[in-house]
Amino acid sequence: MRNLLRRLARRHLALIFACGAILAGFQFLICAIVASIDMTSAAQQIIAFLPPVMQTVLAPLLAGATDAGMVAFGWNHPITHALGLAVAISLAARAIAGEVESGAIELVAAQPISRTTYVLAQVVFAISMIATIGGLGITATALGQRVFDLDPFPPQRLLLLLLTFISLQVAAFGITLAFSSFGREAGRVAFAGVLVALLSYLIQAIAALWPRAAWIGPYSLHFYYDPREVLVNGTFAASETLLLAGVFAAATAIALRRYQSRDLP
Amino acid sequence: MDGLAKNFGPVQALRGVSFSVEPGEVFGYLGPNGAGKTTTLRIVVGLVRATGGTVRLFGRSPQDPRSREQLGFLPGDLHLYGDLTARQLLDYFARFRPAQTPRQRAELIERLGLEVTVLPRRVKFLSHGTRQKLGLIVAMQHDPALLLLDEPSNGLDPLVQQSFREIVRDFASRGRSVLVSSHVLSEVEVICQRVAILRQGEIVALETIEQLRANVVRRLTVHFEKAVPEQLLKLDAVTRSETDGSTATLWVRGDLNPLLRALADARVQDFVFPEPDLEDIFLSYYRSAPVSNA
Repeated sequence: MRNLLRRLARRHLALIFACGAILAGFQFLICAIVASIDMTSAAQQIIAFLPPVMQTVLAPLLAGATDAGMVAFGWNHPITHALGLAVAISLAARAIAGEVESGAIELVAAQPISRTTYVLAQVVFAISMIATIGGLGITATALGQRVFDLDPFPPQRLLLLLLTFISLQVAAFGITLAFSSFGREAGRVAFAGVLVALLSYLIQAIAALWPRAAWIGPYSLHFYYDPREVLVNGTFAASETLLLAGVFAAATAIALRRYQSRDLP
Repeated sequence: MDGLAKNFGPVQALRGVSFSVEPGEVFGYLGPNGAGKTTTLRIVVGLVRATGGTVRLFGRSPQDPRSREQLGFLPGDLHLYGDLTARQLLDYFARFRPAQTPRQRAELIERLGLEVTVLPRRVKFLSHGTRQKLGLIVAMQHDPALLLLDEPSNGLDPLVQQSFREIVRDFASRGRSVLVSSHVLSEVEVICQRVAILRQGEIVALETIEQLRANVVRRLTVHFEKAVPEQLLKLDAVTRSETDGSTATLWVRGDLNPLLRALADARVQDFVFPEPDLEDIFLSYYRSAPVSNA
């Protein structure tokens, strides 16, 4: 397995480094922006200019526009999701379908390693890399809060956020890996993975903005990922993280079973 | 392997294929494109699962990764990691067998004429022939007990092909077994002791090269000084004949002594009787063998 991990690291180093650096830079930038604006008074001024009906609707939302709330929002920003998914989906799509497409799988699978070992190496590498870019982002948030004199989040909350971030991305990885185990082209598999992630994000957004559609929220992966609750309120729902981990485990089990039984290449 | 069968949906790719490769033997596996040669090799390596029959590799199932520890494999459609250098590629595949040092690597590099300057270059910048050499070294560098080669001379120039044949012979002389799948018949003829001919998923012949040669229908062209002797065309050894004036073309098989005696009695001006090659043998079997469920 060590041989496969070394190969994966060499192959994907550029992607991981780029995504990790951009995520860290983005989180650091969020801290810089938040430090340059008085978020609370800005929110109050916005509310004061709104008609009474709109004030009723938007006041609860804008009440969360604190410095800490905005920094937490950085972890739910589409850019953050896109970077995490870029790593999770590309690793999963290349893991099986990409190797089948390139033809290299024929020579690798003829070596004395089991197919289970091959898939496990992909999984271990993906989790490690998602944790790495998440860790870089979290470090950048902590560093940004110190550099720009923002109230720092307790380290425990940052670690719990990292855990939920990893859970969400590995769930996306697992689903895409399941597609990959059936596929022969990395591009099509990645497209399917992006589609699932996009759909999940949209379902969560619709459920959050439209009370009558709130019931669809639990059908989204993103429903179980709430950085604001973790960072600002210090609330960590272990069951929700476990649910994401369960999705990952089930999807990976499907991928493993399919890969063990399929003909190659 | 015994009674090996493989279906791809409604298509029967292999039907009851049975043979074994003995230690020290170079075994040829011949057939036209689509006959099932590559599918057979992929089943042996564990890439493809058989629909029926059994395959044992050193007493183990091909799905058992331990069965591949003493195996070297060169795919017919070779794809290597283009982002690695040639040396990194060889090291990568060598590390899958940490207990076996790639002891044959240096010798193979030299005998296949792989220039030292190639090793630090990325595989994607190498020619097709050089990549094929790398594929051969990947398959053979750990000196495996069984070597499976699918169309091994693809892209190799004639000089390197000659070296490759010598390498295979030396390999077998150390008690290693080699299974060569090919449609380059002259190559198999030179290096193999036994040959199986595959047609539409079925083995139509499994014999030594000598037996195959004995069974072949050979073409003899004779130019007589006068008319072609009639009794010549009625001999048992003559399976078919064509005459054109004083020239006779005879397709002959089996015991040729009666034919030679008949020719000795006639006034022969010239004759052409080329050495039979596997092409003739192959075509004889391929054209004549009946195929069930075809």
